[in-house]
Amino acid sequence: MSVIFGKLTWDAIPFHDPIPLITSAVVILAVAAIGILVWRKGWWPYLRDEYITSTDHKHIGIMYIVLALLMLVRGFADALMMRLHQSMAIGAAQGYLPPEHYNQIFSAHGTIMIFFVAMPFVIGFMNFVVPLQLGVRDVAFPTMNNVSFWLTASGALLINISLFLGEFARTGWLAFPPLSEKEFSPGVGVDYYLVALQISGVGTILTAVNFVTTILKTRAPGMSYLRMPVFCWTSLASNLIILAAFPVLTVALGLLMLDRYMGFHFFTNDGGGNSMLYMNLIWIWGHPEVYILVLPAFGIYSEVAATFSGKPLFGYRSMVFATMIICVVSLMVWLHHFFTMGAGANINAIFGIASMVIGIPTGVKIYNWLFTMYGGRVRFTVPVHYLLGFMLLFVGGGLTGVLLAIPPVDFITHNTLFLVAHFHHVIIPGVVFAIMAGYTYWFPKAFGFMLHEGLGKAVFWCWFIGFNLAFMPLYLLGFWGGTRRLQHISDPTWAPWLHVALLGSVIIGAAIVLTVVQLLYSIKTRDQRMDVTGDPWDGRTLEWLTLSPPPHYNFAVLPDVHGEEAYWTRKQTAIKEERLIDEPDYQPIEMPINTPTGVICAFFATVCGFAVIWYIWWLAIVGLIGAFAVFVWYAWQDEHEHIIPVEEVRANARERRRIRMEHLHKLSQST
Amino acid sequence: MTEDEDNLLDVAPGIPHSNIVSETVAYVIGLALALILTGVSFWVASTSTLWGPGVAVGLVVLAIAQMGVHLVFFLHITSGPDNTNNVLALAFGVLIVFLVMVGTIWIMAHMDANMAPDPAIMNLQMQH
Amino acid sequence: MTTEAATIGLTHGGSEDTGLGHRGPESKSIVVPYGFWLFVLSDMILFSALFATYASLVTATDGGPTTNQLFDRTLVAIETMALLLSSFTCGLAMIAAKRKNMFWTQGWLIVTGLLGAVFLFIELYEFAMMIEEGAGPQRSAFLSSFFTLVGCHGAHVTAGLLWIGTMMAQIWAKGFKDHIIRRLLCLSVFWHALDIIWVAIFTIVYLIGTLP
Repeated sequence: MSVIFGKLTWDAIPFHDPIPLITSAVVILAVAAIGILVWRKGWWPYLRDEYITSTDHKHIGIMYIVLALLMLVRGFADALMMRLHQSMAIGAAQGYLPPEHYNQIFSAHGTIMIFFVAMPFVIGFMNFVVPLQLGVRDVAFPTMNNVSFWLTASGALLINISLFLGEFARTGWLAFPPLSEKEFSPGVGVDYYLVALQISGVGTILTAVNFVTTILKTRAPGMSYLRMPVFCWTSLASNLIILAAFPVLTVALGLLMLDRYMGFHFFTNDGGGNSMLYMNLIWIWGHPEVYILVLPAFGIYSEVAATFSGKPLFGYRSMVFATMIICVVSLMVWLHHFFTMGAGANINAIFGIASMVIGIPTGVKIYNWLFTMYGGRVRFTVPVHYLLGFMLLFVGGGLTGVLLAIPPVDFITHNTLFLVAHFHHVIIPGVVFAIMAGYTYWFPKAFGFMLHEGLGKAVFWCWFIGFNLAFMPLYLLGFWGGTRRLQHISDPTWAPWLHVALLGSVIIGAAIVLTVVQLLYSIKTRDQRMDVTGDPWDGRTLEWLTLSPPPHYNFAVLPDVHGEEAYWTRKQTAIKEERLIDEPDYQPIEMPINTPTGVICAFFATVCGFAVIWYIWWLAIVGLIGAFAVFVWYAWQDEHEHIIPVEEVRANARERRRIRMEHLHKLSQST
Repeated sequence: MTEDEDNLLDVAPGIPHSNIVSETVAYVIGLALALILTGVSFWVASTSTLWGPGVAVGLVVLAIAQMGVHLVFFLHITSGPDNTNNVLALAFGVLIVFLVMVGTIWIMAHMDANMAPDPAIMNLQMQH
Repeated sequence: MTTEAATIGLTHGGSEDTGLGHRGPESKSIVVPYGFWLFVLSDMILFSALFATYASLVTATDGGPTTNQLFDRTLVAIETMALLLSSFTCGLAMIAAKRKNMFWTQGWLIVTGLLGAVFLFIELYEFAMMIEEGAGPQRSAFLSSFFTLVGCHGAHVTAGLLWIGTMMAQIWAKGFKDHIIRRLLCLSVFWHALDIIWVAIFTIVYLIGTLP
């Protein structure tokens, strides 16, 4: 250990582990190549002004989704490696991953998928869609929004650095003590995990403050609570849960850091520590976390169901009510993650019943989607494929959840492959399918052209078939005693099932590859699928009022909202009267300026985080001071807005009106 | 907005006032109440005037009262534009605080009660 | 029509009263304090997790020092007075700021900061004493949770002092612009919230903790 470099030595580079070594080399070369390409083509100013320093919620949303897609590749690679290894480690065979490596892979897989794939995807969609649906120009705190994104990216970067410098945690995605304490995990792996999550956790809490404020305090004129789209309600619920749960995560991880760095005794075996307390705290966060992910997913399904059935969502008020009930009850069920830890029958019973109760409002939602489609003229677009796949599969996953909520059953199935099957069964049809549906649904709004439909359907079928093959066998294996996270399988009769699961993973891999292919092909042939009007799906909510992509300020004039389904009623009136509303009185628009605060702050946060992980104390202080200095410098600025001149607003608006009038004429000619 | 001379000292915290004296008096009253409640807390904790097990309860009640004084007199939670959202947010926060604290204490107490006895005691027990 | 009205988009005379939202987006002077209040509430939830931890570990002394042996109620009373008075002076500073009075605003802010510094000094003294007699945070789970709970509050007070200093500099350099007043409002919310947390700390940790 040295003062200048802390624990960092040349040994940190994995010269003896071919897999991380080669992967790291490939990634570093790829990043360098992309960087050079961007520089050569002169794209840096565009990237800097339009994205990196942007305070535009739409572009920040896109950055979140790009981050999520990149991390999906790594998270999935981990999954494929695990499936491959388990198929090769049955009976006498030993597989190709030693335990200390395998353990890092399943830990990284869970951590990356939850924190750096699912969360950024969901937050990215909320960023892009919510202000548009509310009929406003941006979120309540646009600069803070930028900071939130870059802090999340900083966490993701640190996790990726662990691949080529040091190691990752071997303790699972939640790092339970005592295994995660210094005594049993002396390396840097757990520290990478803790520091990365603390940094991105700050970003997430700031996002929640931003969105709760935006939804409750800034909406278009006339948009009362019960006229908001359901996606906005689910975003509100999700962000309220973030606000409630993430501080507890900060505490749990923070206490573990204190144990590791300063020799405290919160969760140690000695000194009076109690590792069960960690379980309690982490799951107070951990259960609400999955609802943070699934509620906006449900919101996406609501939008898709209504739009593609050509009908208003069935039971809007019961949907809102069910959402808010789930929001509150999700914070009351956490003990079902540790029924077996010994709280006793009474407590287990109460939390078990609460866990089953939460299935009821979810069931209400399913019925509402079904009844939305019933009697509608359903168009089988790609988003509807995901909707139907979700409705079919998610119920099964939810039912296995109800099974697990029964404490005596859970005593047998806890930490088996049955559990692994259950949570993938709810997350993939629940969250991942919704992400794919939302991606297809809102892609034209973001970029002005549609994705290729045929390839989109191929992607869906690969997900649907792949998921079922990969996870249904795990239910059986769990019942037969298969524990989770096994590095070696001793029962050879499990082999066929594991091979089926491997096949399923490969098919999911095909889905991911096809998604990339679809994107590249759609970009290449975009002229064939331009979204001219801005309303390619005959939508019902306000984001479809704008052209695609919308101008930075979204709306020339904030729309007046007169009822539920603000855009639909306005559109129907326009079609009936064959004219648009009177041209409003355009005014110059004030919008927030770009800001380098986020990326620079995150840079210092990364520096500080890296330094803390490797015990380079002087660098940690430099990082902290740097982050604080950036903050003070930003706060000292006086001008935070710029004015968009009225000529520009008028020109854009008149172009939009011209296109819409043309579209109206076409519609009236065809009827 | 007309204000009678009599109402200059009308310091109900729910009413927004633009008068420096009434605003200051509001803070003074808040401070006085907080001081009294704090004093009573320290006193209750050091004498045996309250029945033993009731002392802890009494202290908690006094603490909640003090927090209320802060919220109303210093934070103006009941006044200000659109304070309904502020109070609702506070209610949500209080609910979560309650769930986290009571839930944890309840669960951890049960866990501790169900722990196996100390190895030293177990050895003694096994020796018979 | 003003820019703000256009931004809000009131293009026709008044919608029917459909409750909140019929006016359009609220102004910054409402939005910013509300957002900050939400952040303060999330911070309170953070403290509630620390309190829950403390309550779970208060008896885990590992044969080491207990609450009764360590806590000095006189020091706590002085700390409490200091912080409570600082909350009061912070309120006075806000009254002065609303009237854009430079002298009284800066004056009351300095007093607030000084009282906060007194609080911190006593707390650091208490910590130093405890560490010196072998009752540091590494001694037992109880002490870890005590130092973390009370120390986290102290860290927040320290951040508050830095913020007070920064605000005093900003007011002096820029005057009482709208966004400066908004920040002062946020600072005062933060400072009062710290006193609310302290009420919980001195009640639960120091008073209930040292009952006979």
